[in-house]
Amino acid sequence: MDRRTFIKATGTALLLAPTLIKEVLAAHEQSLVAVAEGTDYAAITRKAINTVGGMKRFVKPGDVVVVKPNMGWDRSVKFAANTHPLVVRAVVEECLAAGAKKVKVFDNTCNDPRRCYVNSGIEAALKGMKGVECKHIETERFRKVALNGTFLKEWDLYDEVLSANVYINVPVAKHHGLSKLTLGLKNVMGIMGGNRGYIHRNLDAALADVNAHVKSHLTVIDATRILTAHGPQGGNIADVRVLNKVIASTDIVAADAYATTLFGMRPSDIPVTVTAYKRGLGEMNLDKIKVVKA
Amino acid sequence: MKLTTARICQLIFLALFLILFVQTEYRGRDDINAAVNAFFRADPLVLFSYLLAAKSWSWLLLPAALMTVATLVLGRFFCGWICPLGTLLDLVTSKIRKSTPIKALKGNFKYWLLLPLLSASLFNINLSGLLDPIAILLRAMTFLLYPVLGLMSREGWVGLYRMIGERRDALAPAYNLIRDNLLPFRDTQYPLALLSTAILLGIIALERFETRNWCRNICPLGTLLGWLARFSPFSRVPQLLCGDCGKCREMCPTSFDQDVLHKEECILCMECLQGCPHERISFRPSLKLNGCGPLLPERRVLLGGMAGGLLLALPICFRYPEKQSRLLRPPGVRSEDDFLKKCVRCGECMKVCLKNALYPSAYQAGLEGIYTPLLIPRLGYCEYNCTLCGQVCPTGAIPPLPVETKRREVIGKAVFDKNHCLPFARKIDCIVCEEHCPIPEKAIRSRDVQVMGLDGLVRTVKEPYIVEEICNGCGICENVCPLETKAGIEVFAVKNRTPISQSSVGQEAKESSIYH
Repeated sequence: MDRRTFIKATGTALLLAPTLIKEVLAAHEQSLVAVAEGTDYAAITRKAINTVGGMKRFVKPGDVVVVKPNMGWDRSVKFAANTHPLVVRAVVEECLAAGAKKVKVFDNTCNDPRRCYVNSGIEAALKGMKGVECKHIETERFRKVALNGTFLKEWDLYDEVLSANVYINVPVAKHHGLSKLTLGLKNVMGIMGGNRGYIHRNLDAALADVNAHVKSHLTVIDATRILTAHGPQGGNIADVRVLNKVIASTDIVAADAYATTLFGMRPSDIPVTVTAYKRGLGEMNLDKIKVVKA
Repeated sequence: MKLTTARICQLIFLALFLILFVQTEYRGRDDINAAVNAFFRADPLVLFSYLLAAKSWSWLLLPAALMTVATLVLGRFFCGWICPLGTLLDLVTSKIRKSTPIKALKGNFKYWLLLPLLSASLFNINLSGLLDPIAILLRAMTFLLYPVLGLMSREGWVGLYRMIGERRDALAPAYNLIRDNLLPFRDTQYPLALLSTAILLGIIALERFETRNWCRNICPLGTLLGWLARFSPFSRVPQLLCGDCGKCREMCPTSFDQDVLHKEECILCMECLQGCPHERISFRPSLKLNGCGPLLPERRVLLGGMAGGLLLALPICFRYPEKQSRLLRPPGVRSEDDFLKKCVRCGECMKVCLKNALYPSAYQAGLEGIYTPLLIPRLGYCEYNCTLCGQVCPTGAIPPLPVETKRREVIGKAVFDKNHCLPFARKIDCIVCEEHCPIPEKAIRSRDVQVMGLDGLVRTVKEPYIVEEICNGCGICENVCPLETKAGIEVFAVKNRTPISQSSVGQEAKESSIYH
């Protein structure tokens, strides 16, 4: 090899190196989605979490953890409008087992918070657990946060999420009139204050803006039963399908993308997912996502 | 105030009143077993005006019928032993220096109030709640005092957060205990709050002239009970002041104006019995009707009062038609006329309303409807699964309904205002209303339409529409509409409030454990 060739080769290699390294690393970081199935909801929740690395991967001893279920509606468990209390409880127990100092569970509800906390079954499921808080939203805790997003420049977000060490997103998979489905990305609305209806006029961008700022360290989607129509609150048992599944992933977009298939749709059908993917918040192409049965 | 049996009984009932008042709120359970409505259900003035106006019987008012019988037998004990307003007056009166009684209030003044009220009821205008002492007390508490308590506590708590931030959590258990058991859930301001409180303060101010001024000269409930008490076989013996002592005149909170204890004004407080230095006094059956006026007030007053009621009943019925369009009543009220005959205007439904959707009508329902509850969707909506207002209404003006029935009751119907609603006015997506509509089949739906946006580009927009047949008018759509101030969808009153179909509210499997 003469000098000229050597310099050429080295130059090319140096130029390409960052891209090559990225490619290699990307292959390693292929989005992993764990899907557990069974009728013991606590057990399948644990299985799914363990498959993506176990709770110890996310929660360090002494951490303050926010577990954010969907409990926005005054509907009982069977209607699939809120996250299943057993799934929430299992996630909370895993956090505590991993050494969390405090686990906070809340949602900015759409119906009266008292009724939602009671009828979702979540308040009762967490009752008496040490180190667990299941409080109503207190408006004074909302803080204006600069998001500098494409649609939302700033918005009120809940300070307990902002100050927590770990944020775990635990939505229920269900139909939604505007966004077709509501999954992990949309569940983030429960930490938003202010006139939330405002963001409906550009929902996809707004959700990407907030999710870019508040990253879900772990997304656990409750598909033990899903609401297939008349969402997001349903109310008719005929719209509910029992799937006995729980999905977990560190990639919120990948989790949503997989959950979309449970409804017989493609991730590209859901604009919220597509926008988040384009924003680089995660992977939505199913052939690039590694789905593992837990 | 010396603690005699009667005084202790008064304090117990005042405490009970306050406890029941605080209990008249959603505290995690769908049913309220004991509410402050107990006091109205045992209120003979409520009973009489209800019977005259509604011309029907309600078992809800059985306690009031028993109270009537008890008064016929024992006398006017309610005022001296139970009435929370009377107790309040007894507690403050010693702090107020007295001047001379107001002459104008003496004589037949109280009958000139009671009789027109009752006779107006006969002509379908039930106004007795306006001057009912318990309603006056409850309204002042509900519309001003309780909200002020809530506001001050919450402001203090929020102020603490501003000062010390998250460290406030250390005090949270103590605050939560107070919040969950004592404070109102959210801060609400009510119209007529000042008027309601001014009336209560006015009654207290009347103590400036004589003790129990309101009770003996004005209170229509007291007047009614006093009239019933005339038939009681029990009376104080001796009925006259003793010539050698006369100490009773100072001890008696109500009468002895003409050296004789008028039976209709004796509230059986037993102060004279306890305080008599000669132990001459007893309360026992006596057939003599000594010192009692005639069984009915003068004919002039009787006829005049009746005519006054008629004159009162007719002109105040006027209402502006445009105000009627937003006259939304609580769920289950199907007929405005029937509602007005039964509503006591006590304010309990407004106190208990889960989403603070109910407010006292100031002018919207005309003079006859003042203080009656009105649903204002922009401030609060009727929660789909909540039945509290019907549970606490003392007369069934808002009927107590099981939740499956209540969900189908029509309050009004929602209508879009296409000049404001975003998909129509600005050609952009929104449908927050559809999302929140609680009807399982969705009374608000949307369809994809191709429209030219304001920027000239053709795009697909979800246009909402209303399925009127299954809209129950709960108002959540208007409440959550993200437009500022005026909503793009509004609920309007309708005459035909036939419940929406059973099928539209979906299959409701039996509520079971939280796990399935």
